[in-house]
Amino acid sequence: MPQRVFADIVLPHLDAAYNYARWLTRNDSDAEDVVQDACVRAMRFFSSLRGDDARGWLFAIVRNTWYSRVSRKKEVVDPGPSALTGEERPDDALDPEERLLQKYAVARVRRALDGLPADAREVIVLRELEGLSYKEIAAVVNVPIGTVMSRLARARDRLTAVLTEPPSMERHR
Amino acid sequence: MTCEIVERDLDAYIDRELDAGLATAVREHLSICTACRHRVAEREAIGRLIRSVPYYPAPDRLRANVVRATPRASMIHRVLPWAAAAVLVVSVGAGVTLMRPAARGSEATVDEVVNEHVRSMMAEHLFDVRSTDQHTVKPWFLGKLDFSPPVVDLAERGFPLVGGRLDYLGGRSVAALVYQRRQHTINVFVSPAADDRQTAADTRTARGFHVHHWTSGAMSFWAVSDLNDAELTEFVRALQTAQ
Repeated sequence: MPQRVFADIVLPHLDAAYNYARWLTRNDSDAEDVVQDACVRAMRFFSSLRGDDARGWLFAIVRNTWYSRVSRKKEVVDPGPSALTGEERPDDALDPEERLLQKYAVARVRRALDGLPADAREVIVLRELEGLSYKEIAAVVNVPIGTVMSRLARARDRLTAVLTEPPSMERHR
Repeated sequence: MTCEIVERDLDAYIDRELDAGLATAVREHLSICTACRHRVAEREAIGRLIRSVPYYPAPDRLRANVVRATPRASMIHRVLPWAAAAVLVVSVGAGVTLMRPAARGSEATVDEVVNEHVRSMMAEHLFDVRSTDQHTVKPWFLGKLDFSPPVVDLAERGFPLVGGRLDYLGGRSVAALVYQRRQHTINVFVSPAADDRQTAADTRTARGFHVHHWTSGAMSFWAVSDLNDAELTEFVRALQTAQ
């Protein structure tokens, strides 16, 4: 496989792969390890890329890499709510007070997402942040479309409940 | 149509995954049921909230590691026969691409369009003129191109215009208009069409990117993005009706 082709096809989707891994692992350094391993796998299995959906293909490899790491550790270690270490890009158009409010809102939504079970969390991330169709999500997660729909519904029900209750209650969940 | 059915199809409805008949039935029910309308609005608000969360961008170190890990010296032996084959394929491919403009006026290919899109994102040369104002972007092209591209902002439809630049496609200079949807960038390449036939959007997928091509008003349009195809189709329709 010529190097140029692999780099051309995978590198444009690296941010998306990392974002997905970051939501799966809820941790910066684990996400980095998962994506790096996934890229090595992707290189090895590059010839298995059929059709044109390189992004979905890479997501599936990221997911498998993460999954085999988790099951190797035997138990799913829950690191708790993630530390907000991700690079925040403050919106320059806002005044300091609005920026603070925005930061607070983002932190709250991230906490709510991190609080979801992994299977519900990944479908909501693939749908809302990556804009994948139900069919594309089903292919990445390797479940029927009906399962994608029920997981999405569950994720949104839970997020609605968490995000509409007063912030002080949230900590006790 | 009852409230229970709407509730069952609520997510598919707001995700535009419901077939046309059911979607119409849901819309009709919503027009008479305040409670369901409220449910849909709440669901959509939650969606907007989630989409407001910024991306976790890949750290530079990771990007560098991946680039470094792409096959080099150790793989050369195994790769060599393939590389030779690839060169052959590439040159045959290039031959086809080179012949095409002569045969079909100056039409770009799907591959070229995706290449330009990827290059614009990677080289961080997305904008020559960065503005959300169509009245700034349109005049900027004056004197730089031998045609005047139609420029419309689609912020009201959820696809804000963010800028434009000069690009090179199908053997000529073209206008590239840049639109945004959440974290996704949409590039629209505009150039004069070979003739003034109108063609409906032709849709392709290449390397994980969706590409739409159509001609209208003697202009040829290419829209390309990693946005999902349903929303890109919505964008293309919005652009076509706004022009």
